[in-house]
Amino acid sequence: MIRVEDVWRTYVMGDTELHALRGVSETIEDGEYVAIIGPSGSGKSTLLNVLGCLDSPDRGRYFLAGEDVAGLDEDALAETRLRRIGFIFQSFHLVPRLTALQNVEMPMIFAGIPPAERRQRAKASLAAVGLSDREGHRPNELSGGQKQRVAIARSTVMDPGLLLCDEPTGNLDSRSGAQVLDLLAELHADGRTLVVVTHDPGVARRADRVVVMRDGGILKRVRGQEVGDLGSLFDLGDGDGDGNGDGGAAEVPVEALEA
Amino acid sequence: MSFRDLFGFALAAVLQNRRRSALSLLGVVIGVVAVLSLTAIGEGALRYVTSQFASLGSSIINVSPGRNETTGGMPHGVGGTPNDLTLRDAMVLEHRIPEVRASIPVSISTQNVSFRERARRAPIVGATRAFERLQQLDLAMGEFLPESELDRGAAVVVLGHKVARELFDEANPLGSTVRIGSWRMRVIGVLQERGQQLGMDVDEVAFIPVASGMRMANESSVSRIMLDLWPRSDQDAVVEQVKQLLIERHDEEDFTCVRQDAVLQSLSSILGILTLVVAGIASISLAVAGIGIMNVMLVSVSERRDEVGLLKAVGANRRQILFIFLLEAALLSSAGGLLGLALGTALISIGDRLYPAMDIVAPLWAIVAVLALSLGTGIVFGVLPAWRASRLDPVAALQGP
Repeated sequence: MIRVEDVWRTYVMGDTELHALRGVSETIEDGEYVAIIGPSGSGKSTLLNVLGCLDSPDRGRYFLAGEDVAGLDEDALAETRLRRIGFIFQSFHLVPRLTALQNVEMPMIFAGIPPAERRQRAKASLAAVGLSDREGHRPNELSGGQKQRVAIARSTVMDPGLLLCDEPTGNLDSRSGAQVLDLLAELHADGRTLVVVTHDPGVARRADRVVVMRDGGILKRVRGQEVGDLGSLFDLGDGDGDGNGDGGAAEVPVEALEA
Repeated sequence: MSFRDLFGFALAAVLQNRRRSALSLLGVVIGVVAVLSLTAIGEGALRYVTSQFASLGSSIINVSPGRNETTGGMPHGVGGTPNDLTLRDAMVLEHRIPEVRASIPVSISTQNVSFRERARRAPIVGATRAFERLQQLDLAMGEFLPESELDRGAAVVVLGHKVARELFDEANPLGSTVRIGSWRMRVIGVLQERGQQLGMDVDEVAFIPVASGMRMANESSVSRIMLDLWPRSDQDAVVEQVKQLLIERHDEEDFTCVRQDAVLQSLSSILGILTLVVAGIASISLAVAGIGIMNVMLVSVSERRDEVGLLKAVGANRRQILFIFLLEAALLSSAGGLLGLALGTALISIGDRLYPAMDIVAPLWAIVAVLALSLGTGIVFGVLPAWRASRLDPVAALQGP
């Protein structure tokens, strides 16, 4: 189980303070598939970074499998990311000079896994995303969908319980996007916890549960199947009634919406 | 995290940006070549001087009249007229000191040497047969001065290469009679050409028995006595014995007795210090090269921010990231060091061939030091960029450069 309690994250830019997260609380069960949806600037990526131990909240607590992670030091956070969390990014973040296989092997280098085992596990991981025939290819020889599948193979090679995806289909055409979503569904079916940040209702719809964010807070929570188009998502409780989710809601206390 | 894996990772990064890596290497290469060739030249000079002294004989003790020959000042002492060094002194030294293999009295004067209508002035060195071995003289023909009693001055001469050439051209001088001053001497040997060396130019010299030389110069004393010691003799002890014996005979220390290699020692220590100073100055260029590496690494870190962010996201800790970038810098600088070593060695061997008289070789200590220095340069100047990389905020880093 993952739980954040009253998490705040504020960026200071010059004289102005930007509250990316304003007291967010949320619980995600093990094996749950959760989508976080919201317009840009709503704080969804910041929340994902906090969940992934890449960013530390200024205030609040974060429990990962019962352990308060907010108090850990850099090395312990790195170890947590290494063993328990897999990341999938919109822009793939493959190392350009390494082959697909080497990219998948990389996390295991930092875990100190011996080369032979590493190779074998990386191959299995690539096979699981259907890219056995692309082991020796470098990222610039792969299509976008293939790159993201390599990234997925990399994120799962250490067998983490939690997968965090930031707009995983954002840079893909609809066909490879659908492939990637199918892969994610498989990983979920294997029992992994999935958190997907997206602004695409079509992606959110495949999740068990959708968390709608706006202005650094959680606007509401709906079931995946209930997700309609973007406008309808923000209809409820959108303070200024324009349905685009770009304003007004900040005045509505998040806690009140949750009740 | 095994070293080999991170090495491979760093190597791939270095190879990715070949041109930039090569340029940053160049600084190290130049620095290493500079240090190596300068120390090689210094070492070569040292060897040259040493070998020159060796050809003069390294286990030689010189006794000359007058108190302060090497330190300057009053040549004939303050306490009265000095006694001259005599043939007898030379004989006593040879017989009384067991370490002395040969005691060679030497007289030096300048005389006219002529054969038929040809004549020239030449230094005439009176010596004994042992002088040949002492000065490592090689004969082109005939033989050196005969073995004989010290005071028996035979009328024979051994000509230096140039003297023989000028008096006889290509003709064989052996057996001919030349005039030296008012004396007629039979040529019994001609030396091989030797060229200019420290000390006297033996090509220009004519050698005659020491007693003849003294008579020719109308002197009852010798210019100096050279003592040829048996190998591995304690030279300082011999110097002491010589002093005692001669003081006994002269009643005062009116002579100067020094080891031939005393000069060599001070000369080589001066050369050694000079080499170190020059090499030290050259190694400043290595520091400059280090700054070049630092620059390249800083650029590389800022270009690869997203990669650093990714490394952090997949679980690399600060120490591992620091190590990767440090290794990259060390790889650059040590590759530069090895390339510089290869290039420097090539240049040195070319120089060695161009100047065969000098034995130009980079000493082993310089090779080891310069390799260690270039590796150290990379590590020292790689610390800042690597530290920066390890401190990058992963969220900001993942957003790209």
